Amino acid sequence: MTDTREITLTVNGTEHTIDVEPRQLLVHAIREELDLTGTHIGCDTGNCGACTVLKDGEPIKSCLMFATQADGSELMTVEGMEDLPEAGEDLHPLQEGFREEHGLQCGYCTPGMLMSGKALLDENPDPSEEEIREAISGNLCRCTGYQNIVRSIEYAAEELEAGEIAAADGGVVTDADGSTITPAEMTDADGEFDCGVENCCGGPMTDRDHDSIAGGESE
Amino acid sequence: MKAAQFETHEPDTVEEAVSLLESLDDRAILAGGQSMVPMLRFRLAVPETVIDINCIDGLDYLEEEDGWLRIGALTRHADVEESALIDERYGSFADTAPLVADPQIRNRGTVAGAIAQADPKGDWGSVVLAHEGEVVAQGPDGERVIPAEDFFLLPYDTTLDENELITEIRVPTPAPREGSAYHKLKRKVGDYAMAGSAARLVLDEDGRIENAAIGLTAVDITNVRATDAEDHLEGERPGSEVFKRAGELAAEQSNPESDEHGDAGYKERMVNVLTQRALGDAAERAGLVKRRVSQ
Ligand SMILES: Cc1cc2nc3c(=O)[nH]c(=O)nc-3n(C[C@H](O)[C@H](O)[C@H](O)COP(=O)(O)OP(=O)(O)OC[C@H]3O[C@@H](n4cnc5c(N)ncnc54)[C@H](O)[C@@H]3O)c2cc1C
Ligand code: FES
Ligand code: FES
Repeated sequence: MTDTREITLTVNGTEHTIDVEPRQLLVHAIREELDLTGTHIGCDTGNCGACTVLKDGEPIKSCLMFATQADGSELMTVEGMEDLPEAGEDLHPLQEGFREEHGLQCGYCTPGMLMSGKALLDENPDPSEEEIREAISGNLCRCTGYQNIVRSIEYAAEELEAGEIAAADGGVVTDADGSTITPAEMTDADGEFDCGVENCCGGPMTDRDHDSIAGGESE
Repeated sequence: MKAAQFETHEPDTVEEAVSLLESLDDRAILAGGQSMVPMLRFRLAVPETVIDINCIDGLDYLEEEDGWLRIGALTRHADVEESALIDERYGSFADTAPLVADPQIRNRGTVAGAIAQADPKGDWGSVVLAHEGEVVAQGPDGERVIPAEDFFLLPYDTTLDENELITEIRVPTPAPREGSAYHKLKRKVGDYAMAGSAARLVLDEDGRIENAAIGLTAVDITNVRATDAEDHLEGERPGSEVFKRAGELAAEQSNPESDEHGDAGYKERMVNVLTQRALGDAAERAGLVKRRVSQ
């Protein structure tokens, strides 16, 4: 009865072969067998979305699926984001967005939010606020409130678009008024820390503080 | 909590699944798992064997054929949500799909699994009732077709035989002047319904209601038809006065229970309002040019 089964999961591009019990949940396989603890478990009921991962590109709740059911599939977790082609030096534009726009406080919901955000932007690079709210409607956040999370995803959509235009123009972004700015200048302008927002954590942080914190906790 | 130990089988065909059902004693079917995985984890279900039907080929269709809209047993809520055919021709299905749970759950959960689950708070049961649809099941003796009306027995209990597998949910393709809609009241995105109403109207050439069918969510021990309201509507011209009376009749016939979401009286009033709104949308979609009933 306690037979295990060998399954193959390709997670963030790396193939893993592991032995699992049929009752093993996918989220436990990811966290405990593969040691990828970026994917969180927040509830016991399939409600919170903290365990969201992409299975063959689609967001699913990895606590509502057995590991055996993911045999042979391609999974993406938060750990894979910085290796994506659209990621800059260290962070993916979505992760950068959450930093710039205060999209997190305790961060518990963040990996799931990032996965739902990623699935949305893959399908719809220019989503409306309503579409963003719909895409993250299966993800609960108990501390940040959703305003800043929506802004974080909007930030990423803009960054990704700017990145694409820049790539098409050979690295030079054309501003709305026709003048050209370099991607570095643009990041500076957009990256300016601007709080005064409802639901902000209220921390007296400057942009530089954010950068040094993010630099300090490279995961 | 961890699920108790179980063995899994992953049949490739319907026949194989049915013969597993027949030969194994203590087993459960696993489709989208969005209800079953929590039931296993909380040990509400403790089967020795789980028959995971996700590997069966050819059960994930959503198509019109021979006068039926046919929904295969592995068609996910998201497939309905994204279907252009549904968007164009099946108002109530198009209304319902995005209201079931949340995007992640809709990517896995199936329409057939939700019907099999027979949760009185489930949305699809009301829609299939309002469309006078059928459940197609495969058992050891072949195929059996169960009218939706005869399907739901009790909460989480149906007339499906224990050796039968649902292969398809189907509803008749729309008549020329037919429209349908679903309205659902819930506390927040992703929640089950506090109350819901699915309405379908077929008009005759004169614009009178030839056929009316209404399915209600979360206000009885199963999804139920609001037959008194239906009888009142038939033969009438659609309009806010008849819809108002139909709403009242649906509310009177419903049997909601008081709970943390509201008392029974409140829910009855909501059945009234939701039914009027669903009827208004259904009439509009049936081709009647009329302003939507507002309250
Ligand atoms: C947080 C959350 C919110 C939800 N909100 C809603 C909501 O708002 N509205 C709503 O309607 N539903 C809701 N659901 C339930 C969801 O729609 C499920 O997908 C559905 O109830 C079950 O479908 P499934 O494919 O996941 O089936 P499973 O969970 O795999 O199975 C459910 C039951 O049906 C049986 N079964 C499944 N397929 C077959 C078959 N082909 N033949 C015979 N028996 C079968 C199984 O044995 C089991 O008993 C919610 C679920 C969760 C976790
Ligand atoms: S842990 Fe999976 S939804 Fe909460
Ligand atoms: S940041 Fe704490 S739950 Fe969202």
